[in-house]
Amino acid sequence: MSTFDIGLLYGGFTLLVMFSGMPIAFALGLVATVFMVFFMPAASLDTVTQNVYEEMSAITLLSIPLFILKGAAIGRSPAGRDLYSALHVWMGRVPGGLGIANIFACAIFAAMAGSSPATCSAIGSAGIPEMRKRGYPPGFAAGLIAAGGTLGILLPPSITMILYAVASEQSLGKLFLAGIGPALLLVLFFAGYASWRYRHEARKAHTVHTGGGISSALLDRETFTLSQKVAALPRVLPFVLLLTGVMVALYGGFATPSETAGLGALLALILIAIIYKTWRPSQFQPIMINTIRESTMLMLIIGMSLFYSYVMSYLHISQSVAEWVVAQHLSRWVLLATILVLVIVLGFFLPPVSIILMTAPIILPPLRAAGFDLIWFGVVMTIVMEMGLIHPPVGLNLFVIKNIAPDIPLADVITGVLPFVVLMALAIVVLCFLPEIALWLPEKVIASTR
Amino acid sequence: MKALDYLNRAIVVLSTIALVFAACVLTYSVVLRYFTSIATDWTDEMAVFLLIGTTFLSAAWVHSQRGHIGIEALSAILPPHIDRWRRLVVDILSAAFCAFFSWKSWTLLYEAWDEGYVSATAWAPPLWIPYSLMAVGMTLLTLQIFVQAFRPSFRPS
Repeated sequence: MSTFDIGLLYGGFTLLVMFSGMPIAFALGLVATVFMVFFMPAASLDTVTQNVYEEMSAITLLSIPLFILKGAAIGRSPAGRDLYSALHVWMGRVPGGLGIANIFACAIFAAMAGSSPATCSAIGSAGIPEMRKRGYPPGFAAGLIAAGGTLGILLPPSITMILYAVASEQSLGKLFLAGIGPALLLVLFFAGYASWRYRHEARKAHTVHTGGGISSALLDRETFTLSQKVAALPRVLPFVLLLTGVMVALYGGFATPSETAGLGALLALILIAIIYKTWRPSQFQPIMINTIRESTMLMLIIGMSLFYSYVMSYLHISQSVAEWVVAQHLSRWVLLATILVLVIVLGFFLPPVSIILMTAPIILPPLRAAGFDLIWFGVVMTIVMEMGLIHPPVGLNLFVIKNIAPDIPLADVITGVLPFVVLMALAIVVLCFLPEIALWLPEKVIASTR
Repeated sequence: MKALDYLNRAIVVLSTIALVFAACVLTYSVVLRYFTSIATDWTDEMAVFLLIGTTFLSAAWVHSQRGHIGIEALSAILPPHIDRWRRLVVDILSAAFCAFFSWKSWTLLYEAWDEGYVSATAWAPPLWIPYSLMAVGMTLLTLQIFVQAFRPSFRPS
């Protein structure tokens, strides 16, 4: 059997097993094992477990449970609500300020917690009711939170980026920094859109009102006194300090990324114990249960994805496909567009973790050959993964929104989210023309610490 | 299958301790490096063992919560009685893979114990420690999948 046939069979069998509904981790392991039995020397079966262990036992990968712990600790505390109300008070005067405050809150919270769903539910559960009370269309409010939450995987520490760094053998420190510029670009886009949409809605409401219709809550102005503004700060500052402290530890050369994860998790637990008195076992337990559930699920998928890629590369499938793609001599941008479309389609069905680990050996060599910077591509790929979090059918964040605001019809949420998907695609185009948005910061920082 | 339920709960408590301990170990390493020049080559590896152990040992509990995600598109399309069969086949195949993996973990553990494998680092801890956690964890997971496959009403607290 030629490599091509084996490759087709491998792909086809994977699709079949995955769509049977088998948990992704077991499906990947099963496919890899079956192909080992048929196409690899019998002795290789004896090393399956050693293989998986060795692939998994990298401390960079195993920092993931600790990053999740940090996120769960902050996500389960009222920190999100406090952060949100502080920003709300401070942004009161800006037109559409409430929407913009929500986006900023999402971005800051996402950077602290590192998880998209956690950000959506923490900021959304306070932000969506508030926006609706103020007359924002429900779909728009939901879309804004769903999109804002995705910033979690673009801002450090991002689990998606950790995996990309492992799969592409790029510097994690650089990749983290490269995400910051594009994340700010997205925040700018989102905020700009929120402000425009607010004015648009307010104008509509105004016409209705002057035409003798009912007055909308959208037209009411809120003002906050200075003392209200100052009072909002003390509970938020510690978390912002935690965020910056951890970054300083990482980029000041005091800690490795994995040590940062441990440090961040411990500090987060201590902070919520001090500020929100979350230290009793009954309060502590849900944090740990969530962490264990999410991290074990992810780590098993990661271990089995690595095993799956190992078999794919042993059978020369990934190399052949990569060589075939290179041999097509596609122009750079066609190649990039093709790969991104492939990633988007995979994103319909699979979580980012498995997409990255399964496709990296196939898509990265052609991209490298075409002269793309792999750090830059990591950022672009992460934005595509962000889109996958909010577009149907899987769109994890959509379901989180559905949970916290069950009365907004799913169709409204989806139409509310679409403009943000377009803005993300626009951000990718901008990054293609101005790669410096991603690459300037890592070059600046890494060069200066050297 | 109450025993399995209790065991899983104990493992969750153990995993909690392991996770927090791993965070402490890594923090200790940062602090020690900052204040002294003592090399802490063991901290990363200790954290690896703790976190690998947590991952494998809690896999069965996560399955009891149906926490291992899959593509569930078919279950919405298939009629219920066929879907029940699909689920059974999926569970049996999952259990078969996990059983195979457990078996190979035990043989690996035996080899590591018998020949005294140690990790290839300066600290050189014996590798039977993480291997045994992997073997026990995967065996429990296999058991759990079987129990749930044949007792659909089994819903642990």
